[in-house]
Order: sequence, then C-alpha cells, then structure tokens
Amino acid sequence: MIEALGFLTISWFDPWLLMLTAAGTLAGIYVGAIPGLSVTMAASILISFTFKWNVNDALALIAGVYIGGVYGGSRTAILLNIPGAPSAIATALDGYPMAQRGEAGEAIGLTTIMSVFGGFVGILALALFAPLLSDFALKFTSRDYLLLAMIGILLVGTLSGESFAKGVFAGALGVLIGMVGLDPMTAEGRFTFDTITLMGGIPYVVAMIGFFGVAEAFVQLHNLDLPAVKQKIDRVIPRISDIRRYFKLALRASGIGTVIGALPGTGGDIAALLAYDDAKRVTKDPDVPFGEGAKEGLIAPEAANNAAVGGAFVPMLTLGIPGDAVTAVIIGALFIHGLKPGPLLLVETPHLFWFTVGNLALANIFLLIFGLTGIRIFTKIVECPKAVLIPLIVILSAVGSYAIQNNPVDIYWMLLFGVFGYFLKIYGFQVGPVILGVILGPMMDANYRRAMIGARNDLGTFAWDFVSHPISLVLLIAFLALLLSQTPVGGWIRTLLQRRQATGGEAG
Amino acid sequence: MSTQASRRPGELAFAVLMLAFSLWLFWQATRISGFSGLSTPGVFPMLASGLMVVSALAILRKAAGRRAADGGLRRFLAEVTPLRQVVMLALVGAYVATMPWLGFVLASGLFLFLAIQFLWRRHVALTAAITAVSLGAIYLLFRVIFQVVLPKGTLLPGLL
Repeated sequence: MIEALGFLTISWFDPWLLMLTAAGTLAGIYVGAIPGLSVTMAASILISFTFKWNVNDALALIAGVYIGGVYGGSRTAILLNIPGAPSAIATALDGYPMAQRGEAGEAIGLTTIMSVFGGFVGILALALFAPLLSDFALKFTSRDYLLLAMIGILLVGTLSGESFAKGVFAGALGVLIGMVGLDPMTAEGRFTFDTITLMGGIPYVVAMIGFFGVAEAFVQLHNLDLPAVKQKIDRVIPRISDIRRYFKLALRASGIGTVIGALPGTGGDIAALLAYDDAKRVTKDPDVPFGEGAKEGLIAPEAANNAAVGGAFVPMLTLGIPGDAVTAVIIGALFIHGLKPGPLLLVETPHLFWFTVGNLALANIFLLIFGLTGIRIFTKIVECPKAVLIPLIVILSAVGSYAIQNNPVDIYWMLLFGVFGYFLKIYGFQVGPVILGVILGPMMDANYRRAMIGARNDLGTFAWDFVSHPISLVLLIAFLALLLSQTPVGGWIRTLLQRRQATGGEAG
Repeated sequence: MSTQASRRPGELAFAVLMLAFSLWLFWQATRISGFSGLSTPGVFPMLASGLMVVSALAILRKAAGRRAADGGLRRFLAEVTPLRQVVMLALVGAYVATMPWLGFVLASGLFLFLAIQFLWRRHVALTAAITAVSLGAIYLLFRVIFQVVLPKGTLLPGLL
C-alpha cells in the first residue's frame, strides 16, 4: 500500500515530470479545442516523438494531452458552436445557447469544475476496480480475449459509423493491415509480396497518423471558411450554489461516463451523448429548457466524458483492450516502450499502473488551473485560420511518420493511408475501427490460433469450448446479442416478437 | 450529409472498388497457407478478408438500392475531389517526393509557403513570415528539444 502510494506520487514531486504533465494538459486543451486537431491525432504524432524517451516522461506527457484534450473540445463548443472534439458534441447543444446569452464565462467555469469532478470519479474507479479486474482477468483464456477484442471492434463499428456493415468493413481492414509482415509464430510472410519493405509490417503509428492526421486534414479542407463568432467573457468562477445544486447530476453523469468508458470500444463521445440523454430524462423541470442553454445539459456530458478517461484506462491496462481510438493509440505507445498491457501488467510492473493513476490525477489538477485561467488568450489562438493549420498538420504528420524508424518509405505509407482515409470518411466509413483493428488484429490472430491449437485443431472442440466455460459463454452471449441487434436477423426477431406480443395482447 | 435518400456522387463506384479490393485481399489471404489447417498463419487473414467481402457486398447492395446522385461527374468533382483537394494532394505528393532530395527543411518550407499561399491568399510577405516562424518553431521543438532525426536531402548534404 505504502509502496503504491510512493509510485502514485512519483510525478508529483519530480519537477521535470510535473512540468511535462502540465505542458501536456495545456497543449491538450488547445489541441482538443482547435477544430481540426484531435486528441487522437496529437497522441499518435506524439508517440513517434517520445518513443526514445524514458517511459515515465512519455506517459506523463500523453496523460496530460488526453485529459486536456477531452476537456478542450468543450471550449470551442461553447464559444463557437463547433465541437473541437467528438466528445464535445453534446456540450455544444446547451453550451452555445448559454454563450449567446452572454454567459460564456460562466459556462466555461462550470464545465471546468464538472469536468475535473468527473475526471476524479473516473480515476478513483480506475484505482479501485482495475486491481480487482486484473485479478479476475488472470482467469481469462485466449478464447475470451478473442471475444473481447471482437466485442470492442464491433462496438466501435456500430456506434460511430453510418452503418454496421461499414463499421465491420473498417474493423476487418484494420485487422488485415495489422497482419502484414512476417507471422510472429511461424515467420511466414503474410501480404508481403516477397518484398523486404513489407516483411517488417506496416508500422501502426504510421497508419494512425495517416488515417487521423492526413485524412482529417483533407476532410477539413471542405470547411475552410466556417465563420467564427466572437464571445465576450465575464464571470468564470462558477457559483458555489450552482455546484451544490448540480452535484448529484454530476455524480450520476460521472458514473455513466466511467462505465461507458470502461466498456471496450466505447469512449468519451458516446458517454457524453448518453449522459446528456439521461440528464434530459431525470431533470424534471430545468430553469431553461434543454437545447436552449440548460446548465444540466452542459454538466452531464462534460462530467461524463472526463470520467470516461479513467474508465477507458481500466480495460486498457488490465486486459490490453483499448476503450476507444485514443486509448488504442496509447496502447501503441505502451507497446513501443516494451510494456505489455494485460492482467500481468499490475503484477510485473505495479509502479507503472500507480504512476499512471497518479499522473492522471495530477493532470486533472492542472486541468482545474488551466481551465479557469487564460480564456482570453485562448479565444485569440483558437481563431488560427485553418488555411495555416492544415499545411502544418501535414508537416507534423510527415515528421512523426519519419521519426519512428527514420525510413522515408513510412512517409509514403502515411500519404497513402491519408488519401484512402479521406475517401473512406467521405463515403461514411469511420477510421476509428480501422485503428482498433490494427492494434487488436495481431492479438486476435494469436489468441485465435492458441485457442484452436488448444482444441487440437478440431472445430467441434473449439466451438464446444466457447459454450462450456462460463466466462467464454457470457462473452459469447454479449457478442451475439450485439451482433443480432445490428443485423437484419435481429430486426426480424424483434418484429416477430412484437407481432406475437400484439396478437397475445389482443387475445388477452 | 448523413441522411440523404440519394447516393453521394461516386459512392457506387467506391463500393464496387471496395468489393474488388476485398476480393483481391481474400485471394491473397488464401495464398498464405491455403486451406491446409485450422491454425495456420493464413486462417485469420482469410476470416478477416472474408468478412470484408461480406460487408462490402452489404454496402454495395445498400448503395445500389438508393437513388443515383444527380449531377454525375461534375458533382463528384465538386464535392469529392474539388480543386482545393486536388491541388493540396499534388502539393503534399510533391512535398513527400522531393523530401529525400531537398531535405526536410527546404521541402517543408516550400510546401508550407505554397500551401498557405494557395489556401489563404494573403500577401506574399505575410505568408513568408508565417512560414518562417512556424518552420523555425517546428525545427526548434523537434530537432533541438525532442532530438528527432529529420530527413536530410542530397541537394545540400550535411547542411539541411
């Protein structure tokens, strides 16, 4: 316990780590806030610069960027009605109307306090539940990991995309990108076309930078000339009475955020939308109707999306399964530093776990400081024209791609993925599942084959294993339920049931 | 853009292309280790590419069922590949292609200047100033502080 406390506070007393966390949080707020820059983009570019660093330094910076970035989106959502990040979509619904009434400062202040509150709830949940889950996860077999990974990709595919088929397509594409190179078990080439360049595989960081950086830059070219409306900022520190009044709602939203964040495949954006919906249902008579500047509509999504950060770290650190695209990128960072997220992480490297918890808490404190200050300068910087921003994103992406192995070929990959990603985005595909597939693909392949070898290459035994072990069975049912709810088969069953119920009702 | 009855321009062609791409990937996957066993290196790639084929078929079916986009090629050019995107792509392509020759600093400087001038259309001196400042900041941050190796060119070896 005392040992854990020591690890927990490593970054609190080390001036260099303290500085990195602060810098990361501040940078994250801007990255999250500037439309066109996303946390995923920033984190993927950052990995390539920090992989030679000490692990602690790199993690401190990335934790700061993550915490700051999830919050930052709310600023532009309130001030400009442009959510800086997907997790701030719900925030704009009521935040912008507040700003239009001249209450932008109050909205930002309240958002900050509630984001920090939500953040702490998520971190507390991480500290309490991750050790429990990781003990439990030691019982998981390769089958279960295969199922968990499939659930993760399926969830991202269903919730973020335009259609289920497009989500599945994107996820499978990612899995195949992850397969390229020499097979780690037999050293046979897969999709290498007998070229040496492809034998080492496609670096996943390059794929991330291509899909999230370059592709996004090309999409952003479409809305180069969105007008920005300026707001005046007055009162920032929120009223104590407000905080007291909305405490219960914030706690509720944080709970939702933590749970949604902890589900593999779902992150802050979905948590925020669900919490907004929930707040709408539980608030009987708001002072101002929802959608016209209700404080409840601001508090719920913001508490939830920051709570989701801590939640998302739970499956990532204990199972090695990322909660969303950003955590997929962070898992990439852990891999690069030679760490293996999974149930053994807490046993083999407990310092890393507690360090991460302490670091997230520290970043959250910095969020409180930076969130309540510097708003005036902020409004100036966010107005940076996209015409300047987009070329800069391209340059940063190129530097990031090259930095990983100093190989110019990686820059060509980046451009290829960027162009491909642009067309995917234009035609309603999401790139999130692709990245999740890239990260999870090799793991799924290895687990599938281990499970199959365990079943002595017998399809019957393999299938029986899935239903005869309780953990596998529960996961299988969850997977199938998810699958059925998204495919036509599920629809048929539903109409059938409804029809039967209707006829049953009439008969009764 | 999310709920329209008609297809996006070029959507059908893209769906066909994705199906062809998936089929090709599946064919490549079968060549890894064929159907020789259930735990061979080729099984999972076949499963994943097979899933791509199935979902590409579903996507194609859905796209084919919707009304064609009116405006044809002209709308495709206007909405999917407008001049701005094409010029930027050409600039990025030229940037990436000339980097080994010009080196990072020169290539990036040229790219930044041309791209910002094209997208922003302000005075040349302003664009030049922004280019110089941002390039200087990037160089300082990454080369000096982060110690990242930046691509060197053959044009001015050892210098940039």
